[in-house]
Amino acid sequence: MIEARGLTKRYGDRTAVDGISFTVQPGRVTGFLGPNGAGKSTTMRMLLGLDRPTAGTVTVNGRSYADFPAPLRQVGALLEARALHPGRSARDHLRWMAASNGLPVRRVDEVLDMVGLTDVAGQRVGRFSLGMGQRLGIAVALLGDPPVVVLDEPVNGLDPEGIRWVRTLTRQLATEGRTVFLSSHLMSEMALTADHLVVIGRGRILADCSMSQFIADHAASYVRVASPQRGEVADLLRAQGLDVAVHGEELHVQGLDAAAVGELVGRNGLLLHELTLVRSSLEDAFMTLTAASVEYSAREQTPAGALR
Amino acid sequence: MTDTVTLDPHRNVPGVRRPGFAQTLRAEWIKFWSVRSTVWSIVALVVLGAGLTVLVCATSADDLADGSAGEAAGSFITWGMTIAQITAIVLGSLVVTSEYGTGMIRATLTATPHHGRVLAAKALVLTGTLFVVGTVTAVLGYLGGNWFLEREGIGLALGDEGVLRSLLGSGLYMAGIGLFAAAVGLLVRHTAAALAIVLALILVIGNMVVLLPGAWGEWATKLMPGNAGGVVATPVSFNPDLLDPWVGFGVFCAEVAAVLLVGYVVFRRRDA
Ligand SMILES: Nc1ncnc2c1ncn2[C@@H]1O[C@H](COP(=O)(O)OP(=O)(O)OP(=O)(O)O)[C@@H](O)[C@H]1O
Ligand SMILES: [Mg+2]
Repeated sequence: MIEARGLTKRYGDRTAVDGISFTVQPGRVTGFLGPNGAGKSTTMRMLLGLDRPTAGTVTVNGRSYADFPAPLRQVGALLEARALHPGRSARDHLRWMAASNGLPVRRVDEVLDMVGLTDVAGQRVGRFSLGMGQRLGIAVALLGDPPVVVLDEPVNGLDPEGIRWVRTLTRQLATEGRTVFLSSHLMSEMALTADHLVVIGRGRILADCSMSQFIADHAASYVRVASPQRGEVADLLRAQGLDVAVHGEELHVQGLDAAAVGELVGRNGLLLHELTLVRSSLEDAFMTLTAASVEYSAREQTPAGALR
Repeated sequence: MTDTVTLDPHRNVPGVRRPGFAQTLRAEWIKFWSVRSTVWSIVALVVLGAGLTVLVCATSADDLADGSAGEAAGSFITWGMTIAQITAIVLGSLVVTSEYGTGMIRATLTATPHHGRVLAAKALVLTGTLFVVGTVTAVLGYLGGNWFLEREGIGLALGDEGVLRSLLGSGLYMAGIGLFAAAVGLLVRHTAAALAIVLALILVIGNMVVLLPGAWGEWATKLMPGNAGGVVATPVSFNPDLLDPWVGFGVFCAEVAAVLLVGYVVFRRRDA
């Protein structure tokens, strides 16, 4: 379990993390979401004792990170920036880490095998591709077989097979009863991986709830209706007090499920060509919630606009 | 929700239950020897230290023998170490600054979140290695250089005054100057900056403070780290006005300790 209480980090006059409190429970995957610069990596660095909180605390199973005699056995972490010397081989990197926490050398070969780097273990990591580097980072996180795993953008740079592997791995770690806390910007992937979400924007908690709750709260699903009698159907539904939006040939209806919409239209003798419940995605919900707290957004600009 | 599951962290991976300084030391030892820069620095130290000593002894043995050099043979028998110290400085600085340059320091501190223990282990690996390599290099230089001196009849025996002391002193000075560079590395966290500062201090400023007026110049010269610490590494100093070998080395150690202490405080306080 990870617990943050009033956790704050200021760099000069810039507040990166602004008094956040949350709990990451064991036995499930908790996704950590937020736009660029929201403070996710800073929070994780404080959790690992790398950055000193300006105020507040963050503990792992009730203790600060620095209080663990063998921290790699308690918390496995993949950091955002590569924390590797490019001139050292993958095996040597894992070897010194294992030695530092009194882990047996055979564990090095086990994790190399687990992440599929056995064949390149003797190569200098400076030659590794982005994805190989990520795999090594995950091997580091798994080295001490820790009950708490913290991964900052683990799928960044991985190929589809690697992404699926991380998903399976994190789900499995959670099933084994471990605490899994991971950040990612890949919403579709997060939707498949996480059970619970902690969302931050500009250093503050925007949401801390289950995945389904989050989507239900922040992006409404709707029923897509296509009908040759579009106008009549729209009038009928509006008369029932439903929210109907016209999108080209389709109607988007909110406030009633697909079956109820179908029955209503049928009872009134109107024709339907399509009736589909469209569930909103995590991405929609995320965009809605964080729209106000995006710090670094690209200006929407057409090439023509740019020339003017 | 799921109850809190307590997993025994030793259930699948047995090993040391409470890792301590020995484990940190072992980790730093593996780190130290698994990058090429270590091997290259050490090769350079031996080649420069022993090679240049042999070279200057070979070329100046006759001048030393007939007195036309105006110097003592004892000033030449470890002369290569004054150049070899550059590689000790490079190695010492890299031990710290390469971790900051690559982000490795974050891995180091997540594995061992005790700044003091990490620093002590690093210092021990660095100084231990430099002491052994420095001493061996000085002995090699002595054996090679003395062969040329003996041909001219001015050979130095190990028992002669200051000879044995200078061989061990070479190792001590290499260890000290490497640690000094590492400490400066902790302060500036940047390889080029650390090297520039230490090399300028030892090789340039140390020789220029003599230009300060009167007693100021005299004492500044005596106390500059390279001057104070270097005397112990040579049987006879070129500059007779420097401190006595062990007094100088004591001053040098105090200077290194002071910079290291400041480095440690900064290391603890700053975010990694
Ligand atoms: N060492 C530092 N010094 C100064 N400012 C920093 C430092 N580290 C982070 N920041 C600032 O703190 C804020 C939060 O950064 P952080 O890296 O935690 O965001 P993030 O949520 O991980 O973003 P991303 O999704 O882009 O990885 C940013 O505005 C960043 O500029
Ligand atoms: Mg980040």
